[in-house]
Amino acid sequence: MAHDCVIVGAGPAGMAAALTLADHGVRPLVLDRAARPGGQIYRAASASPLPDRSVLGADYAAGAELITAYTASGADHRAEADVWHVGADGKILFSTDGGTCQAEAREILLCPGALERPMPIPGWTLPGVMTAGAAQVMLKSDAVVAEGAVFAGSGPLLYLIVAQYLRLGVKVAALVDTTPRDNYLRAAPLLAGALRVPSMLTKGLSLLHEIRQAGIPVFRWASDLQVLGQDRARGLRFVTPKGAQEIAADTVFLHHGVTPNPNMTRALGVQHDWNPDQLCWHVRRDPFGQSTLAHVSVAGDGGAIVGAEGAQCEGRLAALNMLCRLGRIDRATRDHLARADLTRLKRLAGVRRFIDRLYRPQAALRVPQCPDTLVCRCEERSLGDLRAGFDAGARDPNALKSLTRCGMGPCQGRQCGPIVSQLLADWRDEPVSEVGYYRLRSPQRLLSLQELSRFNRVHPAPEEAQ
Amino acid sequence: MNADVLIIGGGIQGCATAYHLARAGASVILLEKDYIARHASGVNAGGVRLLGRDMAEVPLSRAAIQMWQELDDTLQGDTGFRPTGLINIAVDQADLDKLHARQNLMQAAGYTHEHIIDRDELLARLPHVNPACVGGVRSDLDGHAIPYKATNAFRLAAERHGARVLDSCELHALRRVGTRWLADSTAGRIEAATMVNCAGAWADRIALMIGDNVPLSHAAPMLMITARMPQFAGPVVGAVSRQFSFKQFENGTVLIGGGAKGFADRANNATRLDYAKLAEAARTTVEFFPIMARAAINRMWAGLEAYMPDNLPVIGPAVNAERAFHAFGFSAHGFQMGPVVGQVMADLVLTGRTDFDLTPFRIDRYDRKVL
Repeated sequence: MAHDCVIVGAGPAGMAAALTLADHGVRPLVLDRAARPGGQIYRAASASPLPDRSVLGADYAAGAELITAYTASGADHRAEADVWHVGADGKILFSTDGGTCQAEAREILLCPGALERPMPIPGWTLPGVMTAGAAQVMLKSDAVVAEGAVFAGSGPLLYLIVAQYLRLGVKVAALVDTTPRDNYLRAAPLLAGALRVPSMLTKGLSLLHEIRQAGIPVFRWASDLQVLGQDRARGLRFVTPKGAQEIAADTVFLHHGVTPNPNMTRALGVQHDWNPDQLCWHVRRDPFGQSTLAHVSVAGDGGAIVGAEGAQCEGRLAALNMLCRLGRIDRATRDHLARADLTRLKRLAGVRRFIDRLYRPQAALRVPQCPDTLVCRCEERSLGDLRAGFDAGARDPNALKSLTRCGMGPCQGRQCGPIVSQLLADWRDEPVSEVGYYRLRSPQRLLSLQELSRFNRVHPAPEEAQ
Repeated sequence: MNADVLIIGGGIQGCATAYHLARAGASVILLEKDYIARHASGVNAGGVRLLGRDMAEVPLSRAAIQMWQELDDTLQGDTGFRPTGLINIAVDQADLDKLHARQNLMQAAGYTHEHIIDRDELLARLPHVNPACVGGVRSDLDGHAIPYKATNAFRLAAERHGARVLDSCELHALRRVGTRWLADSTAGRIEAATMVNCAGAWADRIALMIGDNVPLSHAAPMLMITARMPQFAGPVVGAVSRQFSFKQFENGTVLIGGGAKGFADRANNATRLDYAKLAEAARTTVEFFPIMARAAINRMWAGLEAYMPDNLPVIGPAVNAERAFHAFGFSAHGFQMGPVVGQVMADLVLTGRTDFDLTPFRIDRYDRKVL
């Protein structure tokens, strides 16, 4: 028997959607990979291993409240339920307890969240090089930090983790900021739009102020980054207007923005559009998050980068639309209840445009510049290997994958996909939108033959089944 | 654009045909609506199998297996071919009886490339096989290749000999005007003296354009591949009577096939997978090779393949048009025959004859009188 609604992912978008559904008497099945709800941003917010959670900031604490409300909402939450297939036929397959489960849904809400944009500088695959997001995961889940690390890149998440480290008294070797000078000029005209949500700007400015006050070395306008070291990271070399610099460090955290995690929506086959402002693919959706498959909606950063607050707005809007489609509320009610969130999203979009322009990553950091820099970490394919494949006639991402194995590894192209599309666009001298992306398939994670062979179905409780 | 020969379809049959024709000096244009090896030729299991062929196919397949042994040198390319041998496993006496019956048939026809093996030899060659299996049959010239690479190697070799291969170029219309074929395509008008239909799952539509009807169907055989595992199986492995087949590549990944079908959506150029059937394939695999229980599946996919009702291809001249030839409908076992089919098609186009008996592959073999 089918569920009215299945939500994939219990981050801010998924939790907010579940709360709205519960308000109208629909009990969703929520499948979440993690041990506890919260997503990446509120990871472990309800059970932090840190003695003082406040070092992570007020936003993180607010996440704990959302988790509490969500937990009380009565949603059928399945922890460690790792979804590896969502089909256009409404069937969802996930791994749990060493087997495979199949659920069926009238309405599906996907909240797959964001990925960090790869930063394929020389040495980016050396042990000791991680992303700022990884630093956050270690901190939130296990209260683990790296002493004396160098942080390089640009964007709010990078500054946030540096500030969190400093609050905890962890030594930071340096912040190497790659935001180009030019970005400030180009973002300036968008400032007025951002000022419609002053709190967001204040938050950002106070982070930067905090870092400056701490007195750690901050290098601005950095370019030509290269991780030093043979067998593992030993430091970072880069160039600033003052000349070449080298910082010794055993850990290098890289970050220059996030993009929607495309694997689930791509494998499902809904339409995507290239967004030249965020330099990533967006899921094509209506204002309620409904994708080109009517019974599948997408909310939060997995559709387009909107941030945690925007994700909650989108989650609620998607829930209202699904309630309408399920016949629980009429269209007028939906539109009435949606007004506040639609307005808020419009305001947040103004801030987003400003942030996107200000922290637009350097082109030279988005694709490798040296022939021996790896593009595909899983299959160890370098820029030179890909160029050879292109010269042998593979002009399409899928043809290149077939020829070189780039993107065939367990990450399913999460790392190399955006790089490959950009490289082919450069080589073909066409826009990325013309080049397209890997044709992806399920499973979205590795699963063992044994897991697959133990095939079960999950049904809603009898009183809910229609 | 003008050419001696217009080939429709950039799979291995089309690319091999282009290669053999161009090498013989013909001017060739090949139209491919997606990109080379997009469907069956690029996403198949890569098996290069002579073992267990239909008797009608054995002569072609034997010639092809010889060509595969030297194909990298011939094409000056990399097909990824590895002559690992192939073993089909017998699980019981009924399977063995089947093998012996075939052995008699093969010997009567003078073929000696299939060798029945007993349980001891099976366990020696495949130490991780379920010990309940009773024997099998092997062929030592068989092996596997990388489908996309092999097809692309033919394409590149054809281009070196002057063939023009047009990607993302669809055939909209085709008609005979006087002594020429006139094609409307994405790339504009093309004129050619001869046309060759190698359009795979779309070949019935091309055949229809020139007046040949054919009962072609299509399906989507599914495959899955694991992450790297320690080496445990050298030869390609199949089963005499079960839907089961796999091969382990040099990099340790294991490709699991067996013939379970997904959903073929030809109108949308796409396939969907049937996960319940893949679960069944997973069970069978673990049953035959318990070591595979913990193997991690990395990717699953399916490709669109063309099938004839008797699972034999169409190879030969058109019946309702002059200077037109077909090679399609290989029914999920055409990859291995690609090299020789290219040769046969080139011979037909250039000389009108071939050394092989193509009677079983006639396009009109299903034509019958109205009752």
